Amino acid sequence: MSETRYKLHPLSAFLNFLKALKELIVPFIVIFGVNLFRDGGVSGMFTQGWQGMIPFFVGIVVVLFMLVAGIIKWKRFVYWFEDGELRIEYGLFVKKKRYIPFDRIQSLNYTEGIFHRLFGLVKVKVETAGSGKAGESEAVLTAINREDADRIASKMEEAKRGFHPQAASDEEIQTAPVEMPEKKGARVFYRMTLKELVILATTSSGIGVVLSAVAVFLSQFSDLIPYEALYEEVMLFLRFGYLIAALVIFMVLAIAWIISVFLTIFANYQFTIQADEDNIYITRGLLEKKKISVPFKRVQGIKISQNPLREWFGYATVTVESAGGSLGDKEEKIRLFPLAKKSVMLPVLSELFPDTEWEPKLTGAPKRSVRFFYRLDFFWLAPLVGAIGYFFYPFGLFSLLLVPIIIGLGMWQHRTVGYALAGKQLTMQFRGFSKHSFYLMKRRVQALDVTQSYFQRRKQLASIEGTIKSGIMGASARINHMDTGDAERIMAWYEPSSRPMPEDEKSQPEYFSG
Amino acid sequence: MQQVNNQPRNQISRKGLTVWRLYGLIETLVIALVAAGSAALTYFFEWPEWLYVVFGGIIVLFGFLFIYLFPKIRWQRWRYEVREQEIELQHGLFIVRRTLVPMVRVQHVDTAQGPILRKYNLAEISISTAATVHTIPALITEEADELRARISVLARVAEDDV
Repeated sequence: MSETRYKLHPLSAFLNFLKALKELIVPFIVIFGVNLFRDGGVSGMFTQGWQGMIPFFVGIVVVLFMLVAGIIKWKRFVYWFEDGELRIEYGLFVKKKRYIPFDRIQSLNYTEGIFHRLFGLVKVKVETAGSGKAGESEAVLTAINREDADRIASKMEEAKRGFHPQAASDEEIQTAPVEMPEKKGARVFYRMTLKELVILATTSSGIGVVLSAVAVFLSQFSDLIPYEALYEEVMLFLRFGYLIAALVIFMVLAIAWIISVFLTIFANYQFTIQADEDNIYITRGLLEKKKISVPFKRVQGIKISQNPLREWFGYATVTVESAGGSLGDKEEKIRLFPLAKKSVMLPVLSELFPDTEWEPKLTGAPKRSVRFFYRLDFFWLAPLVGAIGYFFYPFGLFSLLLVPIIIGLGMWQHRTVGYALAGKQLTMQFRGFSKHSFYLMKRRVQALDVTQSYFQRRKQLASIEGTIKSGIMGASARINHMDTGDAERIMAWYEPSSRPMPEDEKSQPEYFSG
Repeated sequence: MQQVNNQPRNQISRKGLTVWRLYGLIETLVIALVAAGSAALTYFFEWPEWLYVVFGGIIVLFGFLFIYLFPKIRWQRWRYEVREQEIELQHGLFIVRRTLVPMVRVQHVDTAQGPILRKYNLAEISISTAATVHTIPALITEEADELRARISVLARVAEDDV
């Protein structure tokens, strides 16, 4: 057993520094931004003699400190393999050691930033099952060679093979320099097309974010913009005609759209789903290339979401709820399909998850429950409409239009809501504004709740909520205002000790270990 | 088949109701303090006198709801049942929530006891799954310890059906 101690690539020092710098950028902008706009701007800082320069010196010292800290962090970071464990020693002031047994490692996720790609490096994130203190139980190797990454993967494979000898007999691990370290036998299931990327960018809420970012950006510089002068120009401009104004608005929208498309393409370029028998691999990104792996074992539930616009065109997003991961990690919810036609994704999904039925026949909510979907909204709606109608008298009455809109949305939600029980699978479909379908397996549901208010009880209605593990927290699927009979049926389906359910349990319980 | 109005069997300790009334009393005292402050302001700034009645009414109403009515309903509603393969809970004031937790999903069980609970020889028991935590709020300490031991044994024995 080799106990060579490996170091990270020296680029890590620089990356550590960059990361620290990124975290400090907001305080820096606050400190220097204030000074920049104070009497005389940047030049003012120099005319005030050495006192004006103080923030400058402080800034330089902080930056230097971070640079040195980055280098020391890199110097002190070593990792090696011993006793079937990945052992890491690191720390700036306090020396820390972390030993991760290979068989506890759930997945290795790779990221290649721009700097990584210049040197042919990769950032490796080691994810474990993450029980308890989740954020603590993982490790990040900031920058290592491809070969080193392959070595970790193969060591992990070796260790796992020790525990499952039969699984690996037909599988030879070799550390040939592949494009990204990966297990043999991974098959490509899906590649996102450019058209889908453009549609994704256009129909996502990201476009709104970009728009508001532009707005915020402009408002931040409101002090710098000479409004009086602008105002006159605008008046002139308005006289010029509404056509021009419309054109400008159109231009702003177009620019926001283009930015949004570019951002989406940067993030999701060459989005590819691969899978072998244990894992799903998702690769994406143009400048920063990311590769994450999701073990099938960790998949807790699958969600298909469609906002109304995408629903109209038959497009949908698929997210996989996965257990483990680390605190504050946005990738707990893994987007399996950022966007694809339903007709394209369903065959892929049924190949990846053959046990799941993707289009079961849903049981909807009873007719009498429709009022429950908008009744509560009147509690905020009535005072709001009343107030607007009163204070802005004639035109404020247009706010009454909100009433049919809310009722319409409620009726729509009522039409969408539904569930299906098929063997060990519970499907729940519901709508806030977007439509969501949750596919849950019985053994992944951690707890089931049935809630009933006084008014629901009078009408024999109840809401049902299933919770699964997602990341280190839970995720819930909830269907409101269903018939109590349906609630009982789902409860009975879920209850371990109430086996005999002849009319609903389509398949008899099968006893095999998964 | 399980009926929704077929409730779980066990109720929590009667002393739990007393403790909730005590909490309600403390909350009411805080409200009373705020109301007294407002009354003082009313006196000094010579606001209309009917405000005193409003403040008094608020204290009485709050006391009635939080010391008498709400604890009573909550206590009557609280039911739990620990069976061999699952735990069933029912609670709620306006909205009744029934929760089913299969034994296989239970990861660990804790009991906890604050100063007030200790004085009444009560303890609360929390049942954690991988994603949720469920608390039974007031059990006699020995009962809670016994239940904790029982759940942890059952959880270890329970087998996954898939």
